[in-house]
Amino acid sequence: MTVGTWILVGLLGGTGSVARFVIDGLIGERAGGPFPWGTFIVNLSGAALLGGLVGAAVSGNGLILAGTATLGSYTTLSTWMLETHRLGQNAQLMVAGVNLVASLLVGFAAAAGGHAVGAAL
Amino acid sequence: MNEDCLKLTAYFAERDRAGDGFLGDALLGVCERHRFQTSVLLRGTEGFGRHQVLQTERLLSLSEDLPMVLVAVDSRRRIEAALPEVGHVAGHGLMTLERARMLTGAIGAVTLPEDLHEATKLTVYCGRHERTGRRPAFVSVVDLLYQCGGLSTTVLLGVDGTAHGARQRARFLAANAEVPMMIIAVGPGDRIRRALPDLSGVLERPLMTLERVRVCKVDGRRLAEPHRVAGADDEGLHTWVKLMVHADHDTRHGRRPMYVELVRRLRAARLGGATVLEGIWGYHGARPPQGDRLLALRRHVPTTTVIVDTPDRIGQAFAIVDELTDEAGVVTSELVPAFRARGEWGEAGGLRLAQV
Repeated sequence: MTVGTWILVGLLGGTGSVARFVIDGLIGERAGGPFPWGTFIVNLSGAALLGGLVGAAVSGNGLILAGTATLGSYTTLSTWMLETHRLGQNAQLMVAGVNLVASLLVGFAAAAGGHAVGAAL
Repeated sequence: MNEDCLKLTAYFAERDRAGDGFLGDALLGVCERHRFQTSVLLRGTEGFGRHQVLQTERLLSLSEDLPMVLVAVDSRRRIEAALPEVGHVAGHGLMTLERARMLTGAIGAVTLPEDLHEATKLTVYCGRHERTGRRPAFVSVVDLLYQCGGLSTTVLLGVDGTAHGARQRARFLAANAEVPMMIIAVGPGDRIRRALPDLSGVLERPLMTLERVRVCKVDGRRLAEPHRVAGADDEGLHTWVKLMVHADHDTRHGRRPMYVELVRRLRAARLGGATVLEGIWGYHGARPPQGDRLLALRRHVPTTTVIVDTPDRIGQAFAIVDELTDEAGVVTSELVPAFRARGEWGEAGGLRLAQV
């Protein structure tokens, strides 16, 4: 990888995390209820887009920049875990369980669906 | 020493700016320069202001601008001397002045004025790691208040402040022993008064305030309505009302934590704002004092929700509070003789005390 690629990884990584912050914030503010919709939707959309990239056979620097840098910093495992823990602290175990299981199942389906769409392009 | 003093409280957001720095820092700078007896900066865990934007520690992206509360107490003369500077620094948020009596040094028998007999709010200020023998001082204070029959006590941890005139800021990975904490207790005036000598005995340098308060609800029992003030005083000054809801983190309404549901409904009713403060130790009602336990997932700390607004809107807020505290919680009402709200929309009120 060239120095230029490294610099782009940094810039696109920053863009991905800013996009997450904005989207997560907008959704969280409107959703209201206890379920962390913002993080859920960010992670699902990221999984679908990453599946799409790989399905479309994007590779090399393109995959590093769009996948690892941009979508890697857009999605967030740590926030998913932190918010699930907070639900547990609030004794909302049902919502915490749904957040864990639904993110896994729907996330897997989103990656697979994205892959299929990417491959068909 | 036992003197009439003023309590200045500022409600704002963590990222509000004042000049080159944060507003919280700038306000503490004023407290430091004026060597206030005590001031404590508290970080809320959930809340909203006049702009109606929710901030909550529960969701990471909504927790970057949490509500902050600064409480500063000193003699009326010294607080009033600092007001022009405070007013200059604070561009946003709500500021209030309340009357209180300050007790410092060894506290013997205290005679309460007539109006403190019914119900009293006692606030004890002490250092974060102050100890009584081998126990944390705050645990001893809460035990004494529980034993004397106080209705509720909440220990709030400050992140910055002044104690006896000196700045005490909390730092990451530091001992932070002197950073002030604030212990808020509500109970019958005579019982609180009887506990005062013992309380001063477990503290290194006792510093407490007494305020009159109306207890509206205790564990589902409705005792009184919040204050209703009609119109302005002789000088045209208005009075606002402060509601405080003391409950536990695990007090529930339906399947949700009560404080979460309370903030949600107050916001849905488009009221002026609310701030939730989370304690580290305390009790309300008959349940013995408690805090978080090691390795326990569920939290057991107390929460205090503060709502300051016009008497009319407090009436609306109390209808919501009343419904949500049908089983647990202690609800109090206090008169706020001076308030000033300021934002991009303009300014309301002023920091001159109304005659209550």
